[in-house]
Amino acid sequence: MRQRVLTSLMVLAAVLASVLLVTLPVIGQAPATKAKKSAYKPPKLPWGDPDLQGLWPGTDLIEVPLQRDAKAGERVEVTEEEFAQRQAKAERTAENDRVAYVAKDSKVGINPPGYWLEHGRPQKITSLVVDPPNGRIPELTDLAKQKAAQAKQAKQGHGPNETWEDQSLYDRCITRGVMGSILPVIYNNGTQIVQGPGYVAIRYEMIHETKIIPLDGRPHPSSNVKSYMGDARGHWEGNTLVIETTNFLGDKNGIGLNGGGTPHSADMVLTEKWTRTSPDMMEYTATINDPKTWVRPWTVRMPLRLNPEFPLYEYACHEGNYAMFNMLKGARADEKAAEEAAKAGKK
Amino acid sequence: MRNTLSFSVALVGFLLAVSPVRAHHAFAAEYDGKKQVHLEGVVTQMEWINPHTWIHIDVTEPDGKVTSWMVEGGSPNILLRRGFNKGSLEKGQKIAVDGFQAKDGSNRANGSNITYPDGKKLFLGSSGTGAPADPGPGK
Repeated sequence: MRQRVLTSLMVLAAVLASVLLVTLPVIGQAPATKAKKSAYKPPKLPWGDPDLQGLWPGTDLIEVPLQRDAKAGERVEVTEEEFAQRQAKAERTAENDRVAYVAKDSKVGINPPGYWLEHGRPQKITSLVVDPPNGRIPELTDLAKQKAAQAKQAKQGHGPNETWEDQSLYDRCITRGVMGSILPVIYNNGTQIVQGPGYVAIRYEMIHETKIIPLDGRPHPSSNVKSYMGDARGHWEGNTLVIETTNFLGDKNGIGLNGGGTPHSADMVLTEKWTRTSPDMMEYTATINDPKTWVRPWTVRMPLRLNPEFPLYEYACHEGNYAMFNMLKGARADEKAAEEAAKAGKK
Repeated sequence: MRNTLSFSVALVGFLLAVSPVRAHHAFAAEYDGKKQVHLEGVVTQMEWINPHTWIHIDVTEPDGKVTSWMVEGGSPNILLRRGFNKGSLEKGQKIAVDGFQAKDGSNRANGSNITYPDGKKLFLGSSGTGAPADPGPGK
C-alpha cells in the first residue's frame, strides 16, 4: 500500500514536471528575459516592504528602439564598434547642445526643434523588447489583423482632423495607457514610485497618470469594470514587486510609444516586475499577454536609473492644449483653401 | 562660422539617427510650411503650460502698427530641467522668432529658432536648430 502511494506520488510528480516543462516556454520568458537573481538587497521600509521609492525616469533609454533591427537577429547587445558609434553620437549631440548662437545661414523647419527634446545615454542593448528572442513584437492574430483592416477602411476618405475624435488619446491629453506611459519617448519620461503600508503608487509625468496598486491580495473587480489604465494588483516575490493589471478598455491604447501602435484588447493581462539591482538601478520588465491581439506573449525590459535630479513637474494638460484646437483649425483652413482652389479651377 | 558649419553637419547625422520621434502633436497639421515668418518683438507674456509653452510677443510693423503673436515653445518640464525659470524671460525682453505661421492665418507661429536680437539662443540644448536643411525631428 505504502509502495503504491509512493509510486502514485512519483507518477504525479513526473506528470507535473512534464506539464511544467511543456507550458513554461509558453507562459514564461526566454532566457534573455530572465531576471538575473540580484545579490543586491534593497533597504526596507519601516513596515518591512522593500524600498523601491524614488524617481526612475526612462530618459537614458530614449535612443533604444522598442523593436530590434531585424539584421541584429538574436543579438541583445550592440558590438563594441556600434557602441563606440553611439557614444560618439552622444558626444556630438552634447556639443551641439552647447552651441550658443544660431547659424546666420540657418533654415528652420516646421517640426519641433531640438530644444524640445531630451537625450538618452548610450546603451549597449539593441532593443527594449527582449522576448521573443529576436526582439520583435510578435505577429498579430487574425482577429487583430481584421480589426486593423477595418479601422483602416473606416478612415478611408476621412481626414486626420475632421473632429477631435480623430485625434489620438495622447493628443487629447486623455491617456497613454500603462505601457505608453512608461516606454521612453522624446521628452517628459519621469516615473516615480511612492510606497505606503499596503500600497504602491506609480506616477507617470506626461499626461498625469497615477497608478495605485493595492498589495493585500484583494481580487480584481468584475470584468464589466474597465479603464484605460486597467486594474492593478501587486505582491512581493522576494524583493521584486510584481504587478498584475487587468480590466482594460480594449481597442483604445497600443503598447507602442505614447500609447500608439496596434491597440490591445480588453483581455490583456499585463505583468510588470520591478527589481532593484543596485542602489541606483532598477530592472523593469513588462510581459504583455493578450491572445486576442498577439500570437504569443511578449516582454519588454528596461534598466532604469535612479535620478533624484529628475523631479516630476505638474502636468495639467487639458487647460493648455491649444494644439488640439489649432490642428482642427488648420484642417478647416486646408478645406477652405481646397474649395477656393476648386472654384478658381472651374472659372 | 566654422563652428556653426560643423554643428550643422553633425546635426543632420543626429536627426537621421533619432528619427522617428513623435512630439505631442503633428506640427504639419497646425502650421503652414509655405508661410515662413521672421518676427522681432517684445515679450508680453510667457505661458508656462503643458503640453507646450506659449510665448506672447508684440511685433511692431514698419508702419508702426503693433500686432500680437503667440509662439509655441517646448514643454515647460524640459525647459525647467534645463535651468530655465519664470524669471528667465521677462516682460519687455526683445526676442526674434523664426518659424511658420498657423494654417488658418492667425498670428500664431511655431518657434523653431527663438533668439535674442543678437542671434544668441534663448533655449540652450537647441541641437535641432541652425542646420542648413533642418527638417527638425518629430512629426
